[in-house]
Amino acid sequence: MTAIATDPPRASNSPLERSYARLGVLLIAPTILVFSIVIVYPLLAAIYLSVFSIYTPTLEGDFVGADNYVKLLTGKAFWNSLGVTLVWTVGTLSLQIVAGVGLALLLHQNIWFRALARSLVLFPYFLSTVVAVLVWKWLFNDLYGALNHGLMQLGIIDMPLDWLGSMPNAMIGVILVGAWKYFPFVVIAVLARLQTIPENLYEAARIDGAGPIARFWDVTLPQLRSVLTVIILLRAIWDFKEFDLLYLLTGGGPVTSTQTLSLLVYQEAFGLNRMGQAAAYSVGMMLVMLVFMILYIRQTKEKRA
Amino acid sequence: MKLLRPILLNLITWSIVLLISFPLLWMIVTSLKPQTELFRIPPTWIPETVTFEHYWRLLSETPFLLYFRNSVVLATSTTIFVVALGTLGAYSLVRFTYRGRETLAMLVLFTYLLPSVVLIIPLYLMMVSFGISNTLVSLILAHTTFALPYALWLLRSFMEGIPEDLENAALVDGASRIGAFRDVIFPQLLPGIISTALFTFILSWNEYLYALVLVNSESVAPLTTGVMSMLISAFNIEWSLLMAASVMMSLPLIVVFAFLQSYLTSGFGAGGVKG
Repeated sequence: MTAIATDPPRASNSPLERSYARLGVLLIAPTILVFSIVIVYPLLAAIYLSVFSIYTPTLEGDFVGADNYVKLLTGKAFWNSLGVTLVWTVGTLSLQIVAGVGLALLLHQNIWFRALARSLVLFPYFLSTVVAVLVWKWLFNDLYGALNHGLMQLGIIDMPLDWLGSMPNAMIGVILVGAWKYFPFVVIAVLARLQTIPENLYEAARIDGAGPIARFWDVTLPQLRSVLTVIILLRAIWDFKEFDLLYLLTGGGPVTSTQTLSLLVYQEAFGLNRMGQAAAYSVGMMLVMLVFMILYIRQTKEKRA
Repeated sequence: MKLLRPILLNLITWSIVLLISFPLLWMIVTSLKPQTELFRIPPTWIPETVTFEHYWRLLSETPFLLYFRNSVVLATSTTIFVVALGTLGAYSLVRFTYRGRETLAMLVLFTYLLPSVVLIIPLYLMMVSFGISNTLVSLILAHTTFALPYALWLLRSFMEGIPEDLENAALVDGASRIGAFRDVIFPQLLPGIISTALFTFILSWNEYLYALVLVNSESVAPLTTGVMSMLISAFNIEWSLLMAASVMMSLPLIVVFAFLQSYLTSGFGAGGVKG
């Protein structure tokens, strides 16, 4: 404060503003500290570890240079998992979007007990993945599962299907459960946006003679475009990195047919005890994700500006 | 025709809604069926006899209550820690100007999207070297990695929704920044704080991966890994017991849904989509 008295403040940098800036930094300081310890340091450590070969139980290892990355590029494991991750992400995300938009449109209408219907639809999203997986494992059960018997009673299949133990059923199974668990996110987001579309746009379209389907394509969809971009980016990132659901449902099996990159990293580190290699895989995975992350961050920035 | 349309619409919508909630109804139905009825082919869609024996066994014969207690301690501590830090941080990010503020905000967003598996290996090594692996403290710290960026981002959105004039008026009246925060901002922000706290609690309550890696003793296991270990360790899987556990594990969620759902929906908009 004494320094300020001898140094006359300029208008843009008054003592009050400076002390406010100091208070602002002080308020964010604890957050920065925690961030550095639990996020920034581990992130840098992951990159550092990826040039070592570390045996998990003893945590001892040697410097191996770029060996882990050479193995990532030339080996099959990473590329196989990347392919699986893409199939899973595209599959479950498309289902989420179609089901989410469809149901949002229905729940936007004046139906009986609308609040209850909305709650019931939202519930799976907030449910623990562990619970979702347990319930679906029981539904998928090949002998007593409700799904097989329901489908058999409806005459869609004659024999019980092996849902999670064989391909392509296992992939279809995880995509289905993923869509069931995460589509409510799309429903809420789209529903919120639907409520802000001005009614007179629909009036104008109606006067022009547009039917319900034409109104959807010409009014609703263009209005939903920006929110859908954000939803797709965000869900793509989250589905891409999903661990719990796939690990608990199939464990990556049969063999490695549903082993996404997250599962590969976990398996390498804690199943095969090769921490350095696992760190290299995780860095590779993040580089792939970075594309989506930058797109999303740019999208948010644009919206703020 | 005019009369038929709404009926048809209701019928279609409600069939889809019921189809979507079927897994959850089935979970409840299974948890109430006696063991003998469970393995009937084809299954009985409505239980012939209703029993609470599985719930009784869950509470008296399994460590379920221990897991439940661990989860309550874990999720509550994470929530308090993260929301306290996040409120101050968000206030600073929205209402103060200093160098590096925008970069910091973008960094928060970046960490919000970061996959847990990237952090898990170094975090595991860190907890081992601190000598706190296998404790709830290590899990609380680990949960901060996803909960803090999330809470900060959410609270930032809520904070931006509070008109700046309110605070300015208080400052003109001679209040200090901290005084204005306490008397003007905080009451306005309270719904946002509640919403953020609920989300953080649910995130932490449901988290599985960190618990799997950082904790391997039963006495500190939270519900997620604890209940899963009941599935793996059982010689023949007792589905009705597991379904009872699933229902019990979802209890806090049901309570939130019944009484505080509007907070969830508002938090949803602020965090995920409005960005």
